[in-house]
Amino acid sequence: MIRINRRKLITTSAVLAIAALTVATVPAQALNPSMGSDPGITASSIKLGITSPLTGIASPGYNKIPGAMKAYFDYVNTNGGVNGRKITLVSKDDQYIPTTAVAKANELILRDKVFALVGTLGTASTKALTASTQLSQRGIPSLFVNTGFSGFADKKAYPTTFSILPSYQMEAKIMAKYVKETYAGKKIALIYQDDDFGRDALAGFKTAGLTFDTYIPYASGSQSLPATGAGWISKLKTAGTEVTVLFGVSSASTAALANAYGAGFKTQWVLGSVGGDATTIAATNKAYVPLLYGAKGFSFAPAPTDTTDEYIKLFQTIYAAAQPTQTFDNNVVAGMSNAFLAVQALKAAGANLTRAGLIKVIETKGSTFASPFLTPLGYSATAHIGATGYWVGTYGPTGALTPDGGKYTVYTTDSGTGPVVLSTYTRPAMPAKGL
Amino acid sequence: MNQFLDMFLIGVSAASIYSLMAISMVLVWRSTRVVNFAQAGMALLSAYTGYELVTRVGNFWIALPLAMILGAAFSAFIEFALMRTLHKHSSQGAIAAIAPIIATLGLLGVIRAGIGFIWGHADVQLEAPLSKVGFKFGETTIAVSPMSLFVLLFVVALMVIVSLIFQKTNIGLALRASAYAPEIAQLAGIRVSGIRTLGWAIAGAAGAAAGILQTVNGTGALSPESLEFSLLLVFGFIAAVIGGLESLPGAVLGALILGLVLAAVQIYISGALVFIVAFLLLLIVLIVRPQGFLGSKAGRRA
Amino acid sequence: MLKKHPLLTFIFFGFVLFLISNRLDELRVYQGATVAIYAIGISSLILLIGYSGQVSLGHGALLAIGGYAAALARIHYNAPVWLTFVVAVLAAAAGGALLGLAAARLSGPYLAGSTLALAIGLPSIANQFPILGGEQGLFFDIGLPPASLGADFTQYKWFFWICWSVALIALYWLRNVMNSRYGRSWRAVRSHDVAAELAGIHVGRNKVLAFTISAGLAGLAGALLAMTISLVSPGVFPLALSFSLATGAVLSGVTTLGGVMIGSVALVAIPEFALAIANRYGSETITTNLPGLLVSALLILTVLFVPNGPVEQLRAKRGKNEHPVKKK
Repeated sequence: MIRINRRKLITTSAVLAIAALTVATVPAQALNPSMGSDPGITASSIKLGITSPLTGIASPGYNKIPGAMKAYFDYVNTNGGVNGRKITLVSKDDQYIPTTAVAKANELILRDKVFALVGTLGTASTKALTASTQLSQRGIPSLFVNTGFSGFADKKAYPTTFSILPSYQMEAKIMAKYVKETYAGKKIALIYQDDDFGRDALAGFKTAGLTFDTYIPYASGSQSLPATGAGWISKLKTAGTEVTVLFGVSSASTAALANAYGAGFKTQWVLGSVGGDATTIAATNKAYVPLLYGAKGFSFAPAPTDTTDEYIKLFQTIYAAAQPTQTFDNNVVAGMSNAFLAVQALKAAGANLTRAGLIKVIETKGSTFASPFLTPLGYSATAHIGATGYWVGTYGPTGALTPDGGKYTVYTTDSGTGPVVLSTYTRPAMPAKGL
Repeated sequence: MNQFLDMFLIGVSAASIYSLMAISMVLVWRSTRVVNFAQAGMALLSAYTGYELVTRVGNFWIALPLAMILGAAFSAFIEFALMRTLHKHSSQGAIAAIAPIIATLGLLGVIRAGIGFIWGHADVQLEAPLSKVGFKFGETTIAVSPMSLFVLLFVVALMVIVSLIFQKTNIGLALRASAYAPEIAQLAGIRVSGIRTLGWAIAGAAGAAAGILQTVNGTGALSPESLEFSLLLVFGFIAAVIGGLESLPGAVLGALILGLVLAAVQIYISGALVFIVAFLLLLIVLIVRPQGFLGSKAGRRA
Repeated sequence: MLKKHPLLTFIFFGFVLFLISNRLDELRVYQGATVAIYAIGISSLILLIGYSGQVSLGHGALLAIGGYAAALARIHYNAPVWLTFVVAVLAAAAGGALLGLAAARLSGPYLAGSTLALAIGLPSIANQFPILGGEQGLFFDIGLPPASLGADFTQYKWFFWICWSVALIALYWLRNVMNSRYGRSWRAVRSHDVAAELAGIHVGRNKVLAFTISAGLAGLAGALLAMTISLVSPGVFPLALSFSLATGAVLSGVTTLGGVMIGSVALVAIPEFALAIANRYGSETITTNLPGLLVSALLILTVLFVPNGPVEQLRAKRGKNEHPVKKK
């Protein structure tokens, strides 16, 4: 008995010792943010990373964004790159799950050693990866995150993160002004997702002083169950609603529109930008897109069908060459605008490119960057705010959103108690060849 | 009054979908005393099969029975290849209780990955063959459309047919005997393993119908991560438990109760509470009447 | 050696880990911390399933309770880190006791299905009470590593140290519990609860106790998980987490604690392995689907051919060799 134990002891120790020695030959690496040049840059290249839902429940529509960004970066590369450096984009799939987003961000930072993150999608995912990978402490820029959470614009909390989208509160305040002015006296209802995304909007509606006759919250995820949408329509019908505002995700809009159609219920739909994405709705079922006809929608970029816009024309050409089988829609515009703005920032940071330098240049010069957006950018040394407003449009029979009155009437506001004002911003001309 | 009628019809409509899943779970339980957690995955696979068939054959009414037959075949294959081996190797010890559960969970993952490989992750669409616009009575449109009416009738027909098989035929007797007392059934000359495969096959057909009808009655979109299917599994299970895992009419009754309660909560209280209410309902039934409304006290224990 | 000097073995293992942590790059260190978390989570399931014979497919919900409790203690009371872990264990154990009371009357698939429903239902509660931070969640920041460890001591290494210290202590403690009379009672109940009852063991109470302890451990794992992500939100504890833990438990072998590292390492190593293959072949479809496929296939194969886990299988074989059945 004792012999067996001794043998086991020796074997175990030997195995462990060998293992320890083997592992000891693996070189040690420490975290050294200050030493040497920043990772991800060479004399001829810049490596950027993005983690977003390429598959999973949030992926329809959004999974086109990395491809669109790549298309624009390739265009820039064929035209000499940024200060002589070519841009590579490493894209990872986080399936809209925060823990996965953290793991993928870790891979991008520690394994792929990217220079900066760009376009991370989703509030919870962005929050998680920013905190967990210690982006701020490492000084890694997180450019132009794809979420409307207003907190990311707070420089104190997120010193290296920059927003690009207007916040949900801004959107709600602008929607409120529109609804109050256009539909005064009518019975109005609000369908909203019962979590921070939807409640952010609720706060915005409250600030703007808009109260609804009927409130319909839904648990995130339940909109795809049988009968949920039918329940909403039943409530709306009983309340005699004439105008319905929907602040939810696309699957909720689909459920609402389809069930309204099935029940023969007519109302004026006013859709938030997240749920009003015609492409995502089309990806679910093409048959639902015509149901959007006549609904009101909000956007801050030029309409993808607006071929008179110089940015849209350029983007369309680039995208058609890079991804001929894919449709050009507002997700593509979003991705390419994001990439465009990133290139403007990288250019402005100069040939001597560092992470700290990039962050500084966006803070000091960001508000003057060229951008396809129809609202001014709010970047400053105290706040990392991106676009700041919306225009109102109506959906056509094919799901294309066109501005009311034929021209873009943009309203801007802030995420706090500031008023909603008509914007006097004229977008500066696109730089030559869109570079 | 109008709202109450709406709520009732909506609840019944939802219930018909839940009951399809519940019926197929009860079938598997009654014939092999296993809860097949891969049911959702198999339903999903059948839905994709249905999609392929509709695209190739062009006719939903041919595709549906064909998909059900294929679903039955696949289900039988799984029973033959997986569950029998499982039974041989792990019918003793701690693992016996959960081995089938874990195996079916693994199967779910394999099916999902397989679907992703073959069809990719973008949504594919399965068009509904009937209109989803509600019937009109004069000025009002009620919350029942030709499509949902079809689903309802289909469920009732299925339940009647399967119940008849179980209660009135020799095969049905063999199915029930093989589940309750396999050794005795064997002694009586019944080929138990073959009968179990048959049980799974029937459940597979029902599950296939559940997957296809749930898809066309909803948005018509299919993807490997379709959340609806996971939810459907849980709700189907809850419905089956409420009615009694032993009883086929119980599955339908349970689904009806679940559907109506959830519809009422949605319309009269708040849509944000559906998941919590479903869980509480399950818990209450398990505590107060664990054998379900129509189950007999005897066979609750696994 | 483990049998004779368990404490020494654990300390030795800890020392080896300490050596390793100084030599690995950050990504591996982070993954190492994750392995420790899985080890605790899986051990809690081994206790529940293997020892007391109850199934939980929703352990993620218990991790969530622990994680949220720790985060709230930190945010609202500025509790020191070790205290947040204690709070997490207690909160989750309380939840487990409640669940255990309900579960004691259930068995097999009923229990499995109910825990599944819980795993889906619980996260949505976070959306109902703003104090729980909703979909975006709450921050859980344990602060930087102490200055006495040097300026080069990274945050991830700190996580690694904390996770493994806690894991080793928890596993050691659990092993002692399982070898005590409680462990014996559980195994008795699992094999034949009627006989156990006749032998004087209070079946119901035992089952609830097992659930409570299992839940406490799960809560601890949840708090550690929240620490490494620096966030608690419904998305941090999805259904997939519960399934992963169940998978890990089966891969480890549910009847014994000895194999717990197998499952934990497998859960972290297999996605890495799949990624390496995917990078070779460069296909998008493979990258997304391969990890899930490998894990699920491995799960099925394990349940079919090595149902009690590799460690138990080895022991059984050795038992047969050492004590061959004598022919009459």
